[in-house]
Amino acid sequence: MKQFQYVQPATRQAVLEAINKPGTKIIAGGTNLVDLMKRGVTAPDKLVDINHLPLKNITVTPLGLYIGALALNSVVSENKQVIEKQPLLAMALKSGASPQLRNMATVGGNMMQRTRCGYFYDTAMPCNKRVPGSGCGAYEGVNRMHAIFGASSQCIAVHPSDMCVALAALDAVVIIAGKKGEHRVPFTEFHRLPGDHPEADNNLAPGELITGVEIPDNNLAKNSYYLKVRDRQSYAFALISVAAALDIKNGIIQNARLAMGGVAHKPWRLFDAEKALVGKKASEENFQQIAQLAMQGAKAYGYNSFKLKLAPASITEALKHAAGLV
Amino acid sequence: MEKAINMNRPSSSDGMSRIDGRLKVTGAAKYSAEYAVEGLTYGVLAGSTIAKGTITALDTKAAERAPGVLAVVTYLNAPKVPGFQPDQKGIRAQLKVFNDNKIFYNGQPIALVIADTYERALYGASLVKATYNKEEHQTSLTDNFGKGFPPRGDGLYKRGTEDAWKSAPIKLEQEYIVPTNTHNPMELHAIIARWDADDKITVWDKTQGVKATQHDISQLFKLPLENVQVNSRFVGGAFGSALRTWPHEIVAILGAKAVKKPVKLVLSRADMFTSVGYRPHTWQKVGIGATADGKLTGITHQAYGQTSPYENFTEGAVNVSQSMYACPNVNTKYNLVALNVGTPTWMRGPGEATGSFALESALDELSYALNIDPIEIRIRNYAETDPENGKPFSSKHLKEAYQLGADSIGWSNRKQQPASVKKDGWFVGYGIGCGMFGAYRSGAVIKATLKADGTLHLQSAVSDIGPGTGTAMVLIAAEQLGIPADKISFENGASDLPQAPTQGGSATTASVGSAVYKACADLKTEFQKLTGNNTNDKPDYAQILKQHNLPSVEVTSKSDGGEGRDKYSMNSWSVHFVKVLVNALTGVVKIDKVTSVADCGTIISPKTARSQIVGGAIGGIGMALMEEAIIDHRYGRYINNNYADYHVPVNADIPQIDALFVNKPDPILNPMGSKGMAEIALVGMAAAVANAVYNATGKRVRELPITPDKVIG
Amino acid sequence: MESKESAIIPAIEPYVEDSSRRNFLKQSSLLTAVALTPEIAVKAAGLHLHEEIAAVFEKMPLKMEVNGKSRMLSVEPRATLLDILREQLELTGTKKGCDHGQCGACTVHVDGRRVNSCLTLGVMMNGKKITTIEGLAHGDQLHPMQEAFIKHDGFQCGYCTPGQIMSAVACIREGHAGSEHEIREYMSGNICRCGAYPNIVNAIQEVKNGGQEV
Repeated sequence: MKQFQYVQPATRQAVLEAINKPGTKIIAGGTNLVDLMKRGVTAPDKLVDINHLPLKNITVTPLGLYIGALALNSVVSENKQVIEKQPLLAMALKSGASPQLRNMATVGGNMMQRTRCGYFYDTAMPCNKRVPGSGCGAYEGVNRMHAIFGASSQCIAVHPSDMCVALAALDAVVIIAGKKGEHRVPFTEFHRLPGDHPEADNNLAPGELITGVEIPDNNLAKNSYYLKVRDRQSYAFALISVAAALDIKNGIIQNARLAMGGVAHKPWRLFDAEKALVGKKASEENFQQIAQLAMQGAKAYGYNSFKLKLAPASITEALKHAAGLV
Repeated sequence: MEKAINMNRPSSSDGMSRIDGRLKVTGAAKYSAEYAVEGLTYGVLAGSTIAKGTITALDTKAAERAPGVLAVVTYLNAPKVPGFQPDQKGIRAQLKVFNDNKIFYNGQPIALVIADTYERALYGASLVKATYNKEEHQTSLTDNFGKGFPPRGDGLYKRGTEDAWKSAPIKLEQEYIVPTNTHNPMELHAIIARWDADDKITVWDKTQGVKATQHDISQLFKLPLENVQVNSRFVGGAFGSALRTWPHEIVAILGAKAVKKPVKLVLSRADMFTSVGYRPHTWQKVGIGATADGKLTGITHQAYGQTSPYENFTEGAVNVSQSMYACPNVNTKYNLVALNVGTPTWMRGPGEATGSFALESALDELSYALNIDPIEIRIRNYAETDPENGKPFSSKHLKEAYQLGADSIGWSNRKQQPASVKKDGWFVGYGIGCGMFGAYRSGAVIKATLKADGTLHLQSAVSDIGPGTGTAMVLIAAEQLGIPADKISFENGASDLPQAPTQGGSATTASVGSAVYKACADLKTEFQKLTGNNTNDKPDYAQILKQHNLPSVEVTSKSDGGEGRDKYSMNSWSVHFVKVLVNALTGVVKIDKVTSVADCGTIISPKTARSQIVGGAIGGIGMALMEEAIIDHRYGRYINNNYADYHVPVNADIPQIDALFVNKPDPILNPMGSKGMAEIALVGMAAAVANAVYNATGKRVRELPITPDKVIG
Repeated sequence: MESKESAIIPAIEPYVEDSSRRNFLKQSSLLTAVALTPEIAVKAAGLHLHEEIAAVFEKMPLKMEVNGKSRMLSVEPRATLLDILREQLELTGTKKGCDHGQCGACTVHVDGRRVNSCLTLGVMMNGKKITTIEGLAHGDQLHPMQEAFIKHDGFQCGYCTPGQIMSAVACIREGHAGSEHEIREYMSGNICRCGAYPNIVNAIQEVKNGGQEV
């Protein structure tokens, strides 16, 4: 690991000033950043530690629930309000990483974590995300874990987060501080597709800081389920994950939220499938049909062609759980 | 009053606890990288980024200038290894690390950066830049069968008629693939090397055999054997990866010579995939045929396994088909394919683990073709004597093991028709897989000192990589001498201790235990000489020593490799039963229940024996469901060389495991009646899981690991 | 420099941020550097290149409590808590299994929470309380979890054991030892390659059901 400077500015203002320089990175939990630095994937000149900023709160707001960017993943997953209002988020968080990592990782850091693509991690391999223009190792390579939606010839990596899949499904809003003050971005617009610039994972501008997320209240708590399909039962990244949340009255779906992980460069919200679920009876047959609808535009790259089958199967399974059919 | 232990089925708390348990649970157990040697410096390896070719230029300037860096050792400036020189005879083939500019595999060590701190060495290593003349590499086994060659002789075995299975009434032929599995012990391979004089060295090294490592270092560096001290008191797992001397050990010794200071070198997890062996990717084809009533008429088993360009690693992948079942006609073929990869090495159940996946899967397929219960087909083809050589088995109680296991798993709940049981969206299925492994014993020496305070001290060079060797040795001595176990100590893991074999091949207890047994007998003789009384088998030793005013009595006793191998076929046996749940939609496999039954002779230490069986079963579950080291053949480079992407089982994957023992003595192998158990604990498990998945779903997966994509594919 | 190294830096007090100093040192002549810097830098400057001087500045004071004992150190910001424990404090009970947060062998408690020390920068531990496996027993009296691991043989080689035990203690304290299933899930951040998982679960259940103080 390259030597770097470590600073801990006292205030939010001081943090914003400190991070507004090239070669600077924010560190919170460090679970991904320190790993990337160890591997030489990233080599900042300066680390700005923000852990002392007062951004750990979880509070009820008029809109719903506010979660500070520095709230620990473990704390959020155990929080009473979160479990009561947004159980989908708690489930997603608990399916991610390990208890130790969740004790370190923050909400903001989870959003900022980078892909786990093996080509991105190995500095001896080509990767447009790590070194723009060097090529995509995964495109014709070992791409079992890779995207089936929204990829480009430049990059077929997926975003590895579970939490973000739930937040995308739940219409969360990201609160961002910059030089000009705070602004809010819909969660589904925070992360981006790779296009010609896979080096950018999201739309956070240089010098900006995530301060928190807010999740609007909904009627989905009773029928929520986060399904994570992986190669072992715990402590593994998703082959496919599905965040499913339904509002069911008399067996008929009134409202639905559906998003997938492990399939795209960003949490993959399934708006069309959600619409199609509304008014339908909660049954396995209907879920299977809608799962097929959700697959429109899917494209596989070789090793990951199984995802074309696993993804709709997982959607069906998740919806069955959410609807209480299992 | 303690409750009697059920030796067929001990619980996790039954029996004596490990003698080194306290050291391990307090963090006081010291592993090789944990000795605070004075003046210690830190080495970090830089590896090649091509799989084949030559280094044309090495830029080490930036690394040399980096703060704290003491030296950058490469083939250009490394001290010469005498044993690597062309005129040297008797040195095994191996990678001649830092000897020249040739690259044989991706990740091959090209430089050792030594610095005053670990952080500085690590950074320095990242600054080493190599330029290569790249040559076309080959890393794909299946693309290179044409280059296959027999390791020795013609690689062929035949009894009866060749390919007799083809004329059987019921027959099948299938391909079975075991990918590269890595040992990946929790402890990273590590060594501290310190030159004590120009011709004298001490190493603290992760090794399964301190004597073998001592010998290798002595040979390679042309040092008198007694001038090489190898210490390996605690070994954090190995499973075979520390059975031999590897390039990084040579490199650390060279580095310590270059900087004239002790050097600590700890491999990275990525290095653990390339530089310390692995279970080789092996393609197999099995043809098997039987009469309509399920009597085997022929087995043809062929295999291609990968090895490195500079060394032929062979294992008995096809041997299991020669001895497991009574079958008149068997022919096997084993070929190697040299690829641009590091050399494989023995990994738990070497050969048999790979071969049994093919044989036990094929037999399962045959049982469905015959519509015969999978246990029944095994009983109908039960080998009462070794079909390979006609010798009687020294002991074999596999039928009893079938019964114990079938009762425990609830085999009667199994439905012969696949995919016929489904509960809450999950298919339910049962599978069986059997294992065998040769039961070996070799010479060993024990020094035993019985002191006037009534304590007994045993000494042996043997490593203890985790099975609990010391615990078993103490129990053998306690039983033989009638001394309480808590008054017996066992010292091991150093090359200046008495001769012991390398810990491997499930042979340690048989070998070193026999020496302990012999030492106890010799001690008794000494005491009988003192007292002139040979009627009391277990006298009060302390009392006798005090009476004779002796501080202690000491014996050094040698046990040889045992007798009877010319008359008997000696093997340990196992049968694994698995109940799986398979998600009907996603193909996720959950292990619901496991029973492993071992026929491994008399159980000496129930607690640690149970852990061996449980641990082996879990290793087998990993092999079955998730383990696969994957190379991107375009670059000849591993793409999942870490613990996040190369999956091994975690706690959530594993249910309670019933570990059962037949617990009947083997009358031949050694005086304790024991046989080895480390290998059979794993051999056969992968097939048991695959067979259970088939019974659950009707999907036959012949290429490991059985990940969800293959189940739904 | 001496006084600064031993000073207690509260967690919230910002460190001096002065990247220009390092850049300046890189560019300036050795003499200028010597004129500007105190004794320790002069020593380094006399020996080697500019990079060395920079390195001296890049060591930072770190005060943390380890197993109840206050420790004052000077560390590079890139040094992880794991390497500091093992290489500087000779607390080798905390193990390095992967160095990337993928195995749990390095698990320690920081202010009572279990974390992977391999992904924890030492400088971020200023003012924190660290407990390692060496700090779990009370003198000769083992912690109940240590006793239970011995009794149920919750290990073979012993290398993952300190991490498993630190995790197991946290598992009960967190309230995640309610069932066998829950224990398995909440112990899944600790890999055991020997395969002692069922025994580990038995050990945790024994401690949980025994109701002893953990």
